[in-house]
Amino acid sequence: MVTCARTPLADSRVFEVQRFGPLMLLAAASMLAVTPSAMEAQQTNERWVMPRTADGHPDLQGSWSNATMTPLVRPPGVGAVLTPDQVAALEGGQQDFIREQLADSDPDRGLPPVGGEFTGNFLFDAGGGAVGGYNFFYIDGGDDIAVFNGEARSSLIVDPTDGRRPPLSEEGRRRTGERFASQRQFGAYDNPENRPLEERCIMSFGSNGGPPMLPNYFYNNNYTIVQTADYVMIMTEMVHDTRIIRLGTPDPLPAHIRPWLGDSWGRWQGDTLVVETTNIHPEQNLAGYPPAAFKPSENIKVTERFTRADEHTINYEFTVDDPSMLSGPFSGELPFKALDGLVYEYACHEGNYALANVLMGARAQEREGVSNQPDTR
Amino acid sequence: MRKIYTTLTLGALALVVATIPLMAHHAFGAEFDKDAPLRLEGQIVKLEWVNPHSWIHLEIEAEDGSTEVWMVEGGTPNVLLRRGLTRDCLAPGTVLIVDGYQAKDHSLKRANGRDVTFTDGTKMFMGSSGTGAPGDAERLAARQARGRC
Repeated sequence: MVTCARTPLADSRVFEVQRFGPLMLLAAASMLAVTPSAMEAQQTNERWVMPRTADGHPDLQGSWSNATMTPLVRPPGVGAVLTPDQVAALEGGQQDFIREQLADSDPDRGLPPVGGEFTGNFLFDAGGGAVGGYNFFYIDGGDDIAVFNGEARSSLIVDPTDGRRPPLSEEGRRRTGERFASQRQFGAYDNPENRPLEERCIMSFGSNGGPPMLPNYFYNNNYTIVQTADYVMIMTEMVHDTRIIRLGTPDPLPAHIRPWLGDSWGRWQGDTLVVETTNIHPEQNLAGYPPAAFKPSENIKVTERFTRADEHTINYEFTVDDPSMLSGPFSGELPFKALDGLVYEYACHEGNYALANVLMGARAQEREGVSNQPDTR
Repeated sequence: MRKIYTTLTLGALALVVATIPLMAHHAFGAEFDKDAPLRLEGQIVKLEWVNPHSWIHLEIEAEDGSTEVWMVEGGTPNVLLRRGLTRDCLAPGTVLIVDGYQAKDHSLKRANGRDVTFTDGTKMFMGSSGTGAPGDAERLAARQARGRC
């Protein structure tokens, strides 16, 4: 019954795309509240009473998710607001994709092909490389379009109006170039310090902790908020980072102290929590993925606004202003939706065999005189 | 409508694709050897449900008749737990089929679980609360009839 077949078979065949189990956008209809239509939301709000803490401020506490299909940056040629038909097509297409991924496999399947195989799905190939990743049922990247104030959005960035992050400034390009040149002194697998933050279990990819706090389009886009009269704490599942936001008149950290998630101060403006953050760590990933991502300068300031919109939603707004890195500020909006249950503990170091595997693999290949560059397109 | 779907989807994908080689948590292309494919069939002897990487330990019979324990890397357990995974779904002794690739350091009995299924080809887990995909309820009922989660 138990067997181990490791020798490449001559007839290794090409597997269907859905058999490759790597990364992607998917599936938490069960954990994400269904987005109500504008009319439904209005009806809900007629019955809904803003929950408040003992000190009278809106109660933001609980578990939340910001997973969504809507990208941070708007694709070219797409309007800012999607029509109901467009939303139906996008979300329906995602459901079809999910169904394909969950189909049964051939129990008599043989070995995967020698040399690996790219699936043709850009996302899968980029995440899993030629060896693929793992089954799709692990993935929870968001399966609905972000609806904000009743509008189905095609991008999270809303200002500038093209939905795109302003280009790097001349100074920003210079700094970015210098950082890349510094990295190129070493090979990608020469040492753990050259591995990305997420692989070292330091920070998430995709700017989950931020600020701004953005979805990563893969998994673990979950947050827990705990609130007192003097503090608001936001625990980010990935990578188990907790933002401690002090409320009141700012007494900022000295400029040379730059925590990974910065120095955050909050205040209540009516029923909205306004948070301003400076001193973000110079190596923190900001704004998710290229073309928006960048490393913050010492002059960055992120302003966030948290407003309870209804029983199931916090409206989250942000503005990023880094005059040393960017040619202008940018702003975005997205919903945080109520999550059923608690956020699962993130114990990255405990299970991180991957980092050791990567470095040991590179050393083994060096001994064999084989290139150890990534098998990615 | 089709055009907008394609445009938006590809746009979203492009954002991710441009960066994954730099930012992917797992670095699968660096961790596993594309020239060392394998197929494992064996029973579960240990599970490490650690967020974000689960590891399934399988005892398999090697070609020389000896037994080996292999570690198979999977994804985050939190999605599975939220969808209803319990200890009973993957009890020790449960036999699984895995296809994937061995770690680049061949002294390690570790592989990625590119596709992990039960012996009849059904996925190791689908989720009791459903994904919203068409036919979810029927598939779930069929799995439960076979004693699956």
